[in-house]
Amino acid sequence: MKAIEVKNLTKVYGNIIAVDNVTFFVEEGEIFSLLGPNGAGKTTTVEIIEGIRNADKGEVKIFGKNLNDEIKEKMGILPQEFQSMERLNVKETLEYFASFYRKSIDIDELIEMVGLKEKEKELYKNLSGGQKRLLGVAMALVNDPSLIFLDEPTTGLDPKARRNIWNVIMEMKEKGKTIFLTTHYMEEAEYLADKVAIMHRGKIVAMDEPYRLIEKYGSGARIIVETVDGKKEFKARDEKEVVRIIGELQEKYEKIEIKRANLEDVFLKLTGEGLG
Amino acid sequence: MRIKGIAWEIKASIKNWYRNKGSVFWTFAFPVLLILLFGEIFSGGNDGYTIYIQDMDDSFASQAFIDAMENISAVKVKIIGKDANVQEYAKEHAVLRIPEGFYNAIVSRQQCNFTLYIDPSQHQTNSVIISFISSIVDKMNLEMNNASVIVGYKIEEVVAKGFEYIDFFVPGIIGMTVMTSAIYGSIEVYVKYRKRGLLKKLLTTSFKRGEWIFAKMVYQLLINFFSAIVILAVGIAVFHLKASFNFTSVLIIIAASFAFTGIGMIIARFVNEEETADSAASAITFPMMFLAGTFFPLEIMPSFLQTIAKILPLYYVNEGLRNAMIYHDANAAMLNAVVIATFAIIVFGIGAVLTNWKEE
Ligand SMILES: Nc1ncnc2c1ncn2[C@@H]1O[C@H](COP(=O)(O)OP(=O)(O)OP(=O)(O)O)[C@@H](O)[C@H]1O
Ligand SMILES: [Mg+2]
Repeated sequence: MKAIEVKNLTKVYGNIIAVDNVTFFVEEGEIFSLLGPNGAGKTTTVEIIEGIRNADKGEVKIFGKNLNDEIKEKMGILPQEFQSMERLNVKETLEYFASFYRKSIDIDELIEMVGLKEKEKELYKNLSGGQKRLLGVAMALVNDPSLIFLDEPTTGLDPKARRNIWNVIMEMKEKGKTIFLTTHYMEEAEYLADKVAIMHRGKIVAMDEPYRLIEKYGSGARIIVETVDGKKEFKARDEKEVVRIIGELQEKYEKIEIKRANLEDVFLKLTGEGLG
Repeated sequence: MRIKGIAWEIKASIKNWYRNKGSVFWTFAFPVLLILLFGEIFSGGNDGYTIYIQDMDDSFASQAFIDAMENISAVKVKIIGKDANVQEYAKEHAVLRIPEGFYNAIVSRQQCNFTLYIDPSQHQTNSVIISFISSIVDKMNLEMNNASVIVGYKIEEVVAKGFEYIDFFVPGIIGMTVMTSAIYGSIEVYVKYRKRGLLKKLLTTSFKRGEWIFAKMVYQLLINFFSAIVILAVGIAVFHLKASFNFTSVLIIIAASFAFTGIGMIIARFVNEEETADSAASAITFPMMFLAGTFFPLEIMPSFLQTIAKILPLYYVNEGLRNAMIYHDANAAMLNAVVIATFAIIVFGIGAVLTNWKEE
């Protein structure tokens, strides 16, 4: 069964088409990433799916059904830039959100899993940005959901804090959960996602597994070679060509650097703009 | 009903509240400070002892008694007419009635009694007045006959409105605190919660809107009653206020909490920035506080302001609380309660309907 099916979704704000006739689906058990720059329409899309906003047109099915209470029980959500109550501590915050669901997982284990054990008694307002976000992710997990929505969970965090969150997300995937991840970090999508949908000005311009997208739209790799005579650059369309070129050089170089295409290049190719 | 969710919503709100020194200050410390300050400023000062005398006898003897009273420098004597309503005058100052036939009684050496009408709540004043009267009466008796008592007096207690400023002030402060805590509280909930994404989280659970509003109202009522009790307790402990909560005053506080929460919800609907919403709330609460007779009686204001006051919900809250808690005017209190409850149902209903739960 598909975890999410979205058909011809459209949302208009004044003269901005925030979401423009978007169609896609998310398989159960995969990490699906909606990748796009600021204002692309990611939050609008995800919040329509979650039932927080109404669509102007289109259809959303979750586990084959329209959103209802039974399905809400299976969903866990971290809204973009979410802030919890200032003066509840970590444990209270999770217990508080757990009380809104019928099902709930062991809060102590959850705290342990996201690595906030030491901060258990700390008030929300005294947590660091990264800790707040970890707690936000934990809040999305209190009801042991099978479908998890995370809207830009790592924006503004340092690399270490970002890693922590990535680890939690990977752990969730291992438990068989479906994860809908919104991000404008291409390395995040590349690292985590099984499937990436690239969104630009309300439209999904490409959607596939990350390496396929790179294969399809990336301009291969650039090999920069420094020899005694100076710098030289070669272009390779794929990995095979990379190997061939390096072989042909017969180790007559001082330094070699291979720059492979990434989702950033894909985005640039598809839209003529950077990811920002 | 999701009891667990409701209980946690209340618990979380209370924790979040008491850990915030600012909100605790505004709900408890501030009103208490106001009472201590204003109560002290306006309670002082005694302008001597005034007594009304109603002379039904109009004789040489009664005039002699009045002269004797007037000779006491601390006492200010005011004569009232024979057909004056003694009960009404007694609500202001003690009234002494010299009965018809006083002179004849003295001449024929028969027992004769004055009647003293007093407000029992003014113990101090009463005991001074009584001691003055009895000193004169003793002297008269002594001069006329050193054995038996001819002139005596009996005391009648009048249930008076011998009210002081503090009696007026404390219910007003309770009304004001209920208003500010409900309006700012609902703005906190409906503006800040929205901004922070808490309403979004709520929408994505199967917890019902109605259950959530219910939990929030229980919390608001707990806070309002708690602060009303503290305010009243301080009034009683420091200023010997004679007041208590009865059914009608409880009803008024509940209705007021709903009414002002409704106003807050309506503000939050139209102003969705925190600062602007707070300013909008101040723009409503401050004038209302002064115009609705919280700090001073309406009677001292120009008549057009008095008319304005009567369209303000806080006026009915303040008046209702005074009638219920202090004046013990059950009918007037109930009328105010009905006005404010009707208003509450309408405004809270509008607020709940207008509130945008979903995002645009
Ligand atoms: N409530 C709203 N009212 C008016 N315009 C809106 C509203 N919400 C979104 N928009 C507009 O719709 C477009 C898409 O916004 P959206 O928040 O979905 O983008 P996003 O991809 O999530 O961006 P970001 O990465 O910055 O979060 C933007 O142009 C935004 O200005
Ligand atoms: Mg967004």
